[in-house]
Amino acid sequence: MLIDADAMLGRYPRRDVGTGSITEAMDRMDRFGIAEAMVSHTLSWLHDPVTGNRELLDLVADEPRLHPCWVMLPDTCGETGTAAEFVAAALDGGVRAVRAYPADHGYDLAGPDAAAMLGAIAEAGLPLLVDAPQLGWPALESVAAAHPGLPVVVGGLGYRLLRQAAGVLARTDNVYIGLANLSSHCGLEWLVERYGAGRVVFGTGAPLRDPAEAVTRLMWAELDDDAVATIGSGTLLGLLPLAAR
Amino acid sequence: MNALTSALWERRPQTSVRIVDAHAHVGPYSLFFIPDAGSDGMVRVMDRCGVSHAVISSHLAIQLDAAAGNAATAEVVGRAPDRFTGYLTVNPWQDPAGELETWGSDHRFGGIKLHPDLHDYPLTGGRYAPVWEFAQRTGCPVLTHTYDGSPYNDLPMVDEVAVRYPDVVILAGHAGATPNGFDAAIEVARRRSGVMLEVCGSFNSGADIARMVREVGADRVVYGSDFPFIDLRMSLGRVIFSGLTEEDRAAVLGGTMTRLLQWRSGRE
Repeated sequence: MLIDADAMLGRYPRRDVGTGSITEAMDRMDRFGIAEAMVSHTLSWLHDPVTGNRELLDLVADEPRLHPCWVMLPDTCGETGTAAEFVAAALDGGVRAVRAYPADHGYDLAGPDAAAMLGAIAEAGLPLLVDAPQLGWPALESVAAAHPGLPVVVGGLGYRLLRQAAGVLARTDNVYIGLANLSSHCGLEWLVERYGAGRVVFGTGAPLRDPAEAVTRLMWAELDDDAVATIGSGTLLGLLPLAAR
Repeated sequence: MNALTSALWERRPQTSVRIVDAHAHVGPYSLFFIPDAGSDGMVRVMDRCGVSHAVISSHLAIQLDAAAGNAATAEVVGRAPDRFTGYLTVNPWQDPAGELETWGSDHRFGGIKLHPDLHDYPLTGGRYAPVWEFAQRTGCPVLTHTYDGSPYNDLPMVDEVAVRYPDVVILAGHAGATPNGFDAAIEVARRRSGVMLEVCGSFNSGADIARMVREVGADRVVYGSDFPFIDLRMSLGRVIFSGLTEEDRAAVLGGTMTRLLQWRSGRE
């Protein structure tokens, strides 16, 4: 079973990736054999997290295969309420994970401003998703060390970051790697051999990335079926709040 | 579901179509760590997926030393000529005519590789003249790196060379590399019949590849992966799921490149 931990709804302004509709997302999932997906909304990323998070819940309310992933901000300006209020609303809305865009939203994920929010997210048992270009590896390691109960899934590694990722993976046990655009030659097998399939989470990056990449990468991986099943859904399910597993 | 996707979902190598990777390398690269960058690991990945053949230029050749790197490419091809063909890398600063003289008649090489961005030299520059003259005389295809907006290998420069050498087959590597680049590459290929689009990179998608085929034809679009720079399966998956007809997909995956590599038996 494949569960996509890295998908998105909503319009995108910088290239043609479709309309971002529910219909397109479901068609894509059917085409690539993806049973369920955790989705964020581009409104939350590229316009207003408050509006995007709210609209996301409405969009997926009647779609049992789609699970909401909210976007966090530091609570310094009160935009998403206090950390406690944000997390309570997230759990109440069935949110499965929280995504952060510290570079695009202009804050330091590893600094004191985001600490309360990250602490509340960790306490709620929600994983944090962040793409590699959004922060440096030292900052990522600081976040993981400061919040050892917070699973941090790093996506979008591309093919140039294994040197940085390897050290952080070795020194932490709550950092995970997303499969979307994990494109180092034999990088998936190398990571699994060193750190185990339980440190890799299936995700497509759709619709910005073509799901064909992650699906082909995983199905034709030099890994046994158990490892593929772990990456395809097992790792993620183990990171979600107990009620969502 | 077809034979190719059935093989993928069943996690076994595909055998229904001859796949030729038109854009590959071999060996380590200083900017980042590549696990298992040697030719043995590459063959293993090819076997895992059912890729028959790859056309390679060593990373040593494109990055640092064309002479030593071309020798490394030749050595890899010599050990597995059924799996690899070489691109002769020409660095404009490292004796282009000499490299062509040394390797031009060596059957281990089936194409020429140019990387203007890595060598800080424009594709239109005079130091590349021996390459175009060789290619025009022999029919040897030339793969050049392209990147939208680059001062060295932007698509208008491919257009300019294609005008100067209309009989040369120019493979536009990465087909411009970005969404804007794809548009520009399609425009150039529509204007210049010698220009082919090679589809590897980080920003391509099956939808982009299908559009390239609609715009210029399946006989002008070739699958490449850039492996082991990038994992072979990324680009391969895009082509497999691009929605092309089986005939067009077979051409893109290997039919067209197989034909382009036949030049030594013809005009040489």
